[in-house]
Amino acid sequence: MRTPVIDTNVQPHFRYNAELRKFIDPAYKTRAIPDVEQQWYQAPGGDYRADLYDGKYPGSVPETVARQLFSEGGVDYAILNPLTRGNIADYLLNSRICAAVNDWLVERWLDADVSDRFLGTIRVNPEDPRGAVAEIERLAGHPKMVQVGVPMQSREPYGKPMFEPIWEAAAGFGLPVAVHVNGGNGVDYAPTFAGHAHTYPGYAAFMPLNYFVHLATLIVEGTFGRHPGARFVFADGGYDILTPLMWRLDTFWVSMRDQTPWVDRYPSEYLADHVRFCSSAFDGPTDPADASRWMDFTNKSDLVMYGSGYPHWSTTSPHDAVEGLDPEQRAKLLWRNAGDFYNIQSLTHLTEGSDA
Amino acid sequence: MQRRRVCGIDELPPGTMKLVPAGKFGVGVYNVGGKFYAIANYCAHEGAPLCTGFVGGTNVHAPDRPGQLMFVRDGEIVRCPWHQWEFDLTNGHTLADPTRKIRTYRVDVDDGEVYVTA
Amino acid sequence: MTTFDIVPSETAAQTVPVTVVDTDVHPMPVSTDVLKTYAPADWVDKIWPRGNAVAPVSHFYDTPDAFKTSSMRVDAMPPRGGFAGTDPEFAAKQLLLDAGVSIAVLEPMCDHQLPQHEHVLKSTYNDWLADVWLNQNNAHGRWRGSVSVSAQVPADAAREVERWGGHPYMAEVLMTPQTRGIPFGNPHFDPLYEAAARNGLPIATHLMGQTPFELIPVYPVGNPAHWHDFFASWPLLYVSHLMSLVFDGAFDRHPELRVVFVEGGFTWAMPVMSRMDRIWEQRKGDLPHVRRRPSDYVREHVRFTTQPLEEVEVETYLEYLDMMDMGDNIMFSTDYPHWSYDSPTWAINRFPADQRERIMKGNATALYGLPAVVGALPGERSSGGAEAV
Repeated sequence: MRTPVIDTNVQPHFRYNAELRKFIDPAYKTRAIPDVEQQWYQAPGGDYRADLYDGKYPGSVPETVARQLFSEGGVDYAILNPLTRGNIADYLLNSRICAAVNDWLVERWLDADVSDRFLGTIRVNPEDPRGAVAEIERLAGHPKMVQVGVPMQSREPYGKPMFEPIWEAAAGFGLPVAVHVNGGNGVDYAPTFAGHAHTYPGYAAFMPLNYFVHLATLIVEGTFGRHPGARFVFADGGYDILTPLMWRLDTFWVSMRDQTPWVDRYPSEYLADHVRFCSSAFDGPTDPADASRWMDFTNKSDLVMYGSGYPHWSTTSPHDAVEGLDPEQRAKLLWRNAGDFYNIQSLTHLTEGSDA
Repeated sequence: MQRRRVCGIDELPPGTMKLVPAGKFGVGVYNVGGKFYAIANYCAHEGAPLCTGFVGGTNVHAPDRPGQLMFVRDGEIVRCPWHQWEFDLTNGHTLADPTRKIRTYRVDVDDGEVYVTA
Repeated sequence: MTTFDIVPSETAAQTVPVTVVDTDVHPMPVSTDVLKTYAPADWVDKIWPRGNAVAPVSHFYDTPDAFKTSSMRVDAMPPRGGFAGTDPEFAAKQLLLDAGVSIAVLEPMCDHQLPQHEHVLKSTYNDWLADVWLNQNNAHGRWRGSVSVSAQVPADAAREVERWGGHPYMAEVLMTPQTRGIPFGNPHFDPLYEAAARNGLPIATHLMGQTPFELIPVYPVGNPAHWHDFFASWPLLYVSHLMSLVFDGAFDRHPELRVVFVEGGFTWAMPVMSRMDRIWEQRKGDLPHVRRRPSDYVREHVRFTTQPLEEVEVETYLEYLDMMDMGDNIMFSTDYPHWSYDSPTWAINRFPADQRERIMKGNATALYGLPAVVGALPGERSSGGAEAV
């Protein structure tokens, strides 16, 4: 019996700008919006897998994506998390862009998919908390929407109080929030702590690590403490630095407790109930012999879910994502963690001992 | 372990501490609001001289108050002079993680004299 | 080059073997008035303006009980008076004698918003340090110093390095990592790196002040509100600089350069090395000037100091450090007299047995060219410093 696979991180794309504009609120149709291809740091040679430049924009044709993931790739479910193209100054406009992306996703990908294997993300704009809550309320009832999506890029870390109504709304509907590096060149600070990267690898290697500041603030500001149902997915990985930095967060807690006494346990104790990661091509020891032992630090085996990143150039196959892991770790990473986290019950072939 | 005289009770008024040369690092005897407690002068973390740390209170979460905090237990908490771990003088537990604790010793007062068994 | 008198350590009555090298200690001038005596006369009023001028808030984030402690060990206030770290004799008693440190690398902290002011301020600190700590109070020969330089003016910094090159007790160059959006690998710093490498001095970096706000730095997704999450995230500044040093080719341009990341943790080095290796393997075409595997550069060119050590179950920690296999790149530090001080006798047991000697002294001895014996202090036991239990 082959191993089930849930791919928790796939980016569907627009064919061209007009496709998005079709869904924009009429009151905003006079506005310029970021190009659907715009990137902050574009990968030299293209952002996508070389074999996907076949005339159509990579990731823009549902039938092609379905064939490559499901028929050829052995994937059972794919969670679609479309990108937006940057935080923009007019936060209301950006919310309309998110709404248009969501309507497009529903029409072109979710409702049109008779195989019921595509799942979706409700994109919202954290800079417009009221609008974000309204958007979650509008679409949370759609049976294929399994999470809320926000950009990694932000001018304040997500533990800060202005965002709390959004996380509360998502948790109220049982929806985790996926944080993902978005495209576009937005109203944002430089991507590294030391300024702009001067090479593409300097950007691509560092950018995912910014999740830690979001995570640390969600713990220290008490968001997880106040909302037992709040769950976050860091969709670009970065769990390679989780252990060293959580160790720091744990260590300093004993000294800092009186400043933030609402943090009533070691910070790492919040991870199991509140945090997951999508797997990444950049995370983990380069020697597969170390992979299994390494994954057990900070119980990462329970926190990481396979996410291909399709159609990105760094797309990882399920086979590569589990290299060096033991059978139990493989099962968790490929489907068990995601199956539990997203409550994907209807995989009829998910039985004991089904690892291939 | 032996019962040792610390001082006359008048020499240890509330809010003060006397360091007794018992054991390898010494024992601090504290008068907390008229009650006496004794702790090892050795932090459970890295061995700092705990009794040189400040004694004060601590904060609890008070969600209905502006500032979200309420100051409580003044005089009952000693903070390690190095990493400022908070220790409950009355039982030796770290406030953050009660499983981390320091050695405590029995103090008794007899006929105006303070004794510690250390 | 300044002239100085050095009391040779051969006149000390006894010597002790070097067992513990402390790579992060913070001395301070006993008063601003004393420091001013080392500054050029025409700069005194510019750097320390008279009148109502109160120094700007020196930090945004409060360490525990910051008001009473000023972020220092409570027990480090010198009995003769003055602030922690201002009395070389008391520091020698607490750190060298009581804690068993053989040699300590002194790293003053200072900065100024304006480039030339900062350059003059740092030069002033260098003259003060060389006189008070490395000369007047160094009969035992156990203090080493840092040549503080301004990252804002690399050419002036290079000249300052040349001024101190050859000084027997200046062991390294010290610059801030808060470099206003210019990462360490940028050619902007090349004159400084050339001078440091030419003089055989590693470049160490350590947190400086926190004002103005953009200098903290501004974290890419915004800044936390509390010291707790701020400082837990802080290593990502060093990660950013390290990636730049490698990917922007600084180690190829400066084959003799050595960089020390102080007080920023080190357990992150393992995943960051793997991360850089993975992306380099996949994107070599983007990095034509990076001729070697990134992790090889790190092993050769970079050192990390140990404080603050993480409070983790020892078995787990030892297993991680064993897996990391960076026993040649880690150097013990205390951060004396700061509050987050690590004790050598506590720390030594947290390192794998086969890495201990390198971490506690071997790596620093090799990097800084330190002796194997130093002058004993009165009352010091002849076997010297920390032993594992």
